[in-house]
Amino acid sequence: MTRTQLPTRVLEILGAWVLGIIWVLPLLYAVWTAFHPAAYATSFTPDAPLTLANFARAWEAAPFARYFLNTTILVTLILVAQFVLCTPAAFAFARMEFPGRDTVFAIVLLQLMVMPDVLLVGNYRSMASLGLVDTILAIALPYLGSAFGIFLLRQTFRMVPQELDDAARLEGSSLMGRLWRVYVPLAKPTYIAYGLVSVSYHWNNFLWPLVITNSVTTRPLTVGLSVFASTDQGIDWSIITAATLMTSAPLLLAFLLFQRQFVQSFMRAGIR
Amino acid sequence: MSTTQSTGAEVRLIDVTRSWGSVTALGGVSLHVRAGSFCVLLGPSGCGKTTCLRIVAGLDSATSGRVEIGGRDVTALPPAARGVAMVFQSYALFPHLTVEENILFGLKARSVPAPERGRRLARAVETLGIGQLLARRPGQLSGGQQQRVALGRAIVAEAPVCLMDEPLSNLDAQLRAEMRAEILGLQRRLGITMLYVTHDQTEAMAMADQVVLLRGGHIEQDAPPAELYARPATSFAAGFVGTPPMNLLKLAPDGTVAGAGGPVLGEGGARLAGIRPEALRVGETGIPVRVTHAEYLGADTVVACQAGESRVLARLPGRAALAAGTPLHLAADPADIHLFDAETGARIATRDR
Ligand SMILES: Nc1ncnc2c1ncn2[C@@H]1O[C@H](COP(=O)(O)OP(=O)(O)OP(=O)(O)O)[C@@H](O)[C@H]1O
Ligand SMILES: [Mg+2]
Repeated sequence: MTRTQLPTRVLEILGAWVLGIIWVLPLLYAVWTAFHPAAYATSFTPDAPLTLANFARAWEAAPFARYFLNTTILVTLILVAQFVLCTPAAFAFARMEFPGRDTVFAIVLLQLMVMPDVLLVGNYRSMASLGLVDTILAIALPYLGSAFGIFLLRQTFRMVPQELDDAARLEGSSLMGRLWRVYVPLAKPTYIAYGLVSVSYHWNNFLWPLVITNSVTTRPLTVGLSVFASTDQGIDWSIITAATLMTSAPLLLAFLLFQRQFVQSFMRAGIR
Repeated sequence: MSTTQSTGAEVRLIDVTRSWGSVTALGGVSLHVRAGSFCVLLGPSGCGKTTCLRIVAGLDSATSGRVEIGGRDVTALPPAARGVAMVFQSYALFPHLTVEENILFGLKARSVPAPERGRRLARAVETLGIGQLLARRPGQLSGGQQQRVALGRAIVAEAPVCLMDEPLSNLDAQLRAEMRAEILGLQRRLGITMLYVTHDQTEAMAMADQVVLLRGGHIEQDAPPAELYARPATSFAAGFVGTPPMNLLKLAPDGTVAGAGGPVLGEGGARLAGIRPEALRVGETGIPVRVTHAEYLGADTVVACQAGESRVLARLPGRAALAAGTPLHLAADPADIHLFDAETGARIATRDR
């Protein structure tokens, strides 16, 4: 290491640590508060007694089981629909010749630049006219076609060697056969990476579900949590943090368990 | 679906052209490959060999012209309905499938019943000696093994016509020689028609019943290897075939080698005299040359010389110890001298031939 590189390196390491600590502090605070009696919420004594009572109280204070179910249905519905819709679209953009292909693709890409929040009112009107307000389908519907997913899969499909397609064609595979037996299996890392992005985004999505739902049977976890935190509990931080940890635990656990596979498939799919 | 050994079908191209915008890859190619024969498409890079093969396979469509396989017009048929199998240059093995799944891919797509699949797989495995590889994926195979698997996938199709696009170009020299013999043996045993692309003229000479020499999208010569060697139809064919290829010497108006003098090789004018390096010998009389370089190859020595404006290679037996600058006379029998038009490259008929 040369002398000019050393200070830069020290700065980099320092910066990384500072950012990491800033990011993890709220989480650490949540863990502390959730596992200790309410009296210790703001006093950090090392010998404070540990307890699971906050979790039990939070679980009983609101229908979290139902919220979990709603969120699970929601993310599954969105993920399946996105895969089913994006795959043929991406394939058409990647490997089929038709007039106006590039123009249509450009229009699809434009969608990437529209912030979903801008469409809140418009989407609400559409859902109202479809009679879908306060349904899980209504939360999912605006996200079922994904420009990001189409873009990502198109890039992956384009990298599949043409000769593999030719070989399958020569061997008698139909168009759907080739898509299913050649393109989809080869794009598996992209499906995994995109699936993760999609699931975590919709697990955490808040504003649109808040607007479109108003009953226990449709509310996802995020909205349920905020309703619970704002009205029912006042400012009992122990219960709120316990509920928060509870709702984010599945994602957190999944990430910790599959950390290596996640990072690998992100690298292979070219998303950072 | 036949259960007996497949036999070849003839392949015919009739005035086939292919162009992309202003690029013409094939300009009016007509070709007849007899059933059960081994035809090699030979030519330099970019001459349209792959394009030609893909048009026969149906992976690409001709801009104009007709393709017939087994006497049937297949120009409008999709690849799968043409009765062809193909080995691609990159082998095109499916990386996510095992060797066995790769070989059986087409049979499953065509819904061939399982017992029949098993029978064909067993035969391919025995023919190619790949039994211990069946459970592996292509990424876990060497280049030679991948090549065998690609061959296996082509032969289980039991198609009457097999197309190969430079199947040996990724292998080392020794393996290439082995596989050459093996592919030829396989083709003879199965009796299929083979259309084989290569840019390596030794491969073409060693394997072909019929060599089709392409250049810039046109057929330069279509002949058996012996005739291609003995009577090249153009100066390009002369300069492409042979190791080293034929010398092409520019002739002065008086019929001697321009700038060197010596004997009259042919009637003068805008002409080239072609002499194979192995037809030249050192003599008392002959073309006066000056040695520039000698390369000892074991059985013989290739001597590079300068004759006036032209470079001449001579293949001399044994070890010819010749220092650079040595003056020599190189002689050849009149029967070994070929004449070509310097403008068109066309062969000019001589007295005896
Ligand atoms: N899809 C295409 N679009 C435009 N031009 C093409 C296309 N495919 C081939 N060509 C052109 O057609 C010509 C013949 O190409 P082809 O691939 O048949 O050559 P080849 O003889 O197989 O060469 P090589 O030995 O390098 O494989 C080349 O000039 C090439 O640039
Ligand atoms: Mg080629």
